[in-house]
Parts: sequence; C-alpha cells; structure tokens
Amino acid sequence: MSNIILSVEGLNVKFSLRGKVLHAIRDVSLDLYEGETLAIVGESGSGKSVLTKTFMGLLDTNGWIESGRILYQGKDLAQYQTEKEWLTIRGREIAMVLQDPMTSLNPLKTVGAQIEEALRLHRGLRGREAKAKVAELLTDVGIGDPERRMRQYPHEFSGGMRQRVIIAIALACNPKILICDEPTTALDVTIQAQIIRLIYDLVHKYRITAIYITHDLGVVANVADRVAVMYAGDIVEIGTCREVFYEPCHPYTWALLSSLPQLGVKGEELFTIKGTPPNLFHQVVGDAFAPRNPQALEADYIERPPFFEVSPTHKARTWLLDERAPRITPPKALERLKKVGKP
Amino acid sequence: MAKYIFKRLGTSLLTLLIILTVVFVLVRQMPIEGYFDNFDKLDQAVIDARLNQLGLKDPILVQLKDFFVGLLHGDLGNSARYSVGVPITAIIANKAPLSITLGVISMAISLILGIPLGAAMAKSKSGFWDKFGTVFIVFISAVPSAVYYIYIQSFGSSLLGFPMLFNRDDWRTWILPIFSMSLGNIAYYAMWLRRYMVDEMNKDYVRLARAKGVKGSEITMRHVFRNSFVPMIQYIPTSLLYTVSGSIYIESLYSVPGMGGLLVDVITRQDNPMVQALVMIYSSIGIIGMILGDLLMVVIDPRISLARKESSR
Repeated sequence: MSNIILSVEGLNVKFSLRGKVLHAIRDVSLDLYEGETLAIVGESGSGKSVLTKTFMGLLDTNGWIESGRILYQGKDLAQYQTEKEWLTIRGREIAMVLQDPMTSLNPLKTVGAQIEEALRLHRGLRGREAKAKVAELLTDVGIGDPERRMRQYPHEFSGGMRQRVIIAIALACNPKILICDEPTTALDVTIQAQIIRLIYDLVHKYRITAIYITHDLGVVANVADRVAVMYAGDIVEIGTCREVFYEPCHPYTWALLSSLPQLGVKGEELFTIKGTPPNLFHQVVGDAFAPRNPQALEADYIERPPFFEVSPTHKARTWLLDERAPRITPPKALERLKKVGKP
Repeated sequence: MAKYIFKRLGTSLLTLLIILTVVFVLVRQMPIEGYFDNFDKLDQAVIDARLNQLGLKDPILVQLKDFFVGLLHGDLGNSARYSVGVPITAIIANKAPLSITLGVISMAISLILGIPLGAAMAKSKSGFWDKFGTVFIVFISAVPSAVYYIYIQSFGSSLLGFPMLFNRDDWRTWILPIFSMSLGNIAYYAMWLRRYMVDEMNKDYVRLARAKGVKGSEITMRHVFRNSFVPMIQYIPTSLLYTVSGSIYIESLYSVPGMGGLLVDVITRQDNPMVQALVMIYSSIGIIGMILGDLLMVVIDPRISLARKESSR
C-alpha cells in the first residue's frame, strides 16, 4: 500500500456539556493512506464527525483534544491552537463537504463568488483568471451553462445542484484530503447516487485522499477502499471493504450488517440492535458494545480488547480473536450478504 | 420592480385615504366645548357663528368633500386654533426641517455607534464588550427615558458646560439633545444586530467558510455582518420616522422649536385642520418608510423578489 498521509495516534477528545465531561473520542488510532478512500461508518453519536473535525480544528468551542497526535506532513495537528496555524490546513490541505447543502452556502452571495473566495485564498487567482477557473470547476461538477450559473444565487439551485457547488468549492481549495461528512444524507435518493458517483470520479481524477462519513453502508460498498467501523467514540474494526463486509470479526459489525434491510427475509421482522449506546459521560469499561451483545464474554466487561490483526489490512478490537476465546461464529444471516453481493 | 412600486404606491394611497377619513370623522366627534376657551360665558349666537366659521355646521359628508377637494389643490387649510389663520404649510415648513435634521443626525450617530457595538458584542460573546453592551442595553430599556434625559441635561450643563437650551445657531447646544435622542436607538440596534449576528454565526455556511479556510475576521465581515443586516434594514426608515416624530420630551426639555410635540398639542386644542394635516404627513412618511424598507431588503437580499414568485426551486 502507498504512503501514510495522515496518522492519528491515541486520540482522545472531550467535550464539556452542562458542567459534565463527555469523552467523545476514546483513544483512536488510524492511518490514512495517500490516494485511498476511507469510509467511517457507525451510528449517530459514535464520533465519526468529531473525529474528522479534529483534523481541521473545527471542534465546537466546548470541545478539546485531551491527548494524542494527529500527524500530517511531519506536523502534529493536535498541537495547533491558533487560527493562523489552522489556516495553513483548512481548505488548502484538507477540505470538507458538509451534510446539508440547503444551508451550507451563503444565501446572499452568488455561487461564483463563493467558489472564487476559495480560489483567491488557496490558488491566488483573481479577476478573469478566477472566473475562468470557476467555470471550469462548475463544468467539472456537472453544472451546465457555468457562465450564467456562476452569477446566480444559491436559492436558484436545487439541493443536488447546491451539493455540486459545495463540491466545487472543496475542489477549488485544491486539497490533498477531502472529508465528506454525510454528503448525501439530506438529498433525495435519486440524487444521492449521482453525487456519490461525482465525488468518486473527481476524487480519482484529482488523486485526492477521501474520507466518507456515512450511515449508508450501500454508499460505502460502492466507493470506499477501506472501512472503519466506529462505536461509542472508538474504531472497533477496520479493514478493506471486502474484509469488513464478507469477513467481519467484531460483534458490533455483525450486528450492524445484520440490520441491513437487504438481508431481511420476507415475512420476518428485520434485525435490530437491542439497547442503546453507552453514555459517554461515564467512563466506559471493557468493550463498549458488550452490554448490547447477547454473546458477550466475561472479558468484555473487564478490559478493553486490543486490536487483533486478522490480516495485514484487517484489524478488530474484540476478545473473540484472542486464542483463549470460545469460538463464536458470525450470525447466519451474514452468509446471505455474499449472495446479495454489495449491500 | 417598477410595477411593484406603482402597485405599492396605489395601495398606500388607499390606506392613506382610509386613515384620513377615519381621523377626519373622529375629530368631529369631539365635544364642541373644546373649540372655545371660555365656552360657559359665551352666547349661543356667538358659539354658532364661531362653529359656522370653522365649517363645523355643514353635514359631515360635505365637510369631508371640502377637505379632500382642498387637499387635491395642495391646500392643507389654515390652523384654526394653534396659531389662528396661519396656513398649516407655513407652520410645518417652519418647524419640520429642524426636527428632521436632528432626527437624521441622531439616526446616523445611532447607526455609527450601535452597529459596531452590536458587532463587538456578537464577536466577544460573554467577553468584555458583550457584558458592557448588555449592561448598557438593560439600563436603557429598564430606566424610563425621562429619567436619564434629565440627568444628561443637568450633568451635561453643570459638569461639561454645555448650554441648557437649544439654539439653532450654536452647535454646542445640539450635542445634548442629539445624544439623548440617540441612546435608545444605539441600544436597540446593538441588541438586534448582536442577536442576528449570533444567529448567523451558528449557520452551516459559516462552518463551510471556516472549513474552506476563510479567516475568522473575514467571515464576520464578508458573510455574517451583511447577512445579519437583512432583517434590520427593513426597520431603519421607519425608525427614522419615530425618531423625528417621537422626540416630544427631548424637544420640550431643551425648548427645541421642532414638531416633536406638535401633534399632541393640536389634538388637545382641537385644531382639526392641523390634526388632519399632521396625521396625513406622519402616515405618508410611515408608509413611504415601509416601502423604502422593503425596497432596501430587495437590494440587499437576492432571495427576496417583490415582482414575481420565485422561478426555480
């Protein structure tokens, strides 16, 4: 595999909320390889967005990095404090596509002006040169008649078109890493596929390393090289798309995949994960998923499992992979995943 | 746009017509005693002659017709009791410019001070400026204005040596009344601007601007500030009107010969032609202010289109 572009080591992020401290990211380590597309999946509140926000210094003001390192090009981003330092990263090195295109554009500025702002900041383009580049970018993201469209305001664009504009803004920054924070969640289903396809094509065209944050496992299977599964502020399993989907090791990944509606049998109830995620205001002991796992081991309640290596690219945090563990096989339903093909 | 303005002016004219008719009829329901200073001692004949002279004996519809016909000829009539026989246009032309000048200067100062204060409050949320501004706003809103007006006058004149009374030709006498007039608006603008700016700062597009690497100060200037001005701009023309017409107390405190207290004055004296004329003037300014406010919004916010429904969505 190629070079590591960004490396997270033992990252802990906390938030202070109403006088209490919430441990949002619990000792996460992650390597991002140049040119790959990594998907981060997990339920709401599992820390997907918070994790990526730390890469850009975009944590809300009540959040902070407690410990850990974020290494990027020899620098530790976790140490960055001032806006000046972050401005060398934001947009220029790492750009972001946000979830809701309806509200992510300034309603009072033309679409062209908003793309131009990024061009001016990161490529030093102005005037006619910038205009030409705006037109090029709009064409790139599949917006026809760019000369006219760039003079229009966001309200004259549909949701899908606005997301294209936001992608154009991200590209205008000329970033090395693109973070897509649930880029299609707010769009309707027919548009989702188009936007996914578009991001996929552009990321490959410009050789950008991409991180997708999503709940949508279908999206993951279509675009990602690797998948990281997050639960309660921790990565519980990471591997290539094939490995995570077809040979999952962590009970949470099993449960997550079992709840895919595609695996449902007609006439039977769909699978759901019982219980709720742990309260991150309290300290989590052992495997965070154990209380919801009917087959949890005793060890799961006592000590946090380390990462066990399944293959050079596949790791999972579960005591099941320890040699002393009893053999517990993944649910039968997951067998069907291979037949269904991509979820 | 032109079509919209014409339409608005048309409906405004109708509104004005209704206001005038209602006011016209209402002032004529007042007891006739009010038209005389010494009603009890007068003969019935004298009273009748006087009422006849005022035109109050005609059927009300005839009076109304006469009024509107006069209006169409640009004739507001003469003052009946305030300064008897003087054309109303002359009275107003004498007083209005001063009030308007004071009002405009005070508005300008309110904007110049209120907007930076509001912006500084929003920027330094719960920092020094926010606390300072909050104290100021709470003080201005909670303490009756009459109280601090008097303090400003007495301290301003005794400690700072500014003259107590207004004199058109001495600029130093302008300072205290204008300052007093501005305080309320400064607090008002600061409060609303802070509120709208904090609203805007939490919006997604600000997050995106941050993510694309725009400096914080630039985000405030280029994105937040202008956007939070949209809901405020609509009220600025109307607020000018209130400043001009509402400075009754200040004008009397400093003996400013303006038209601040004029309306109240002529109503108590039952000077019907003056009441009608002033109501017409104030309503017109009010209506024009609202139209201007709406037009300003269109200029600043591209989403608002007055002429037609949104075409693509």
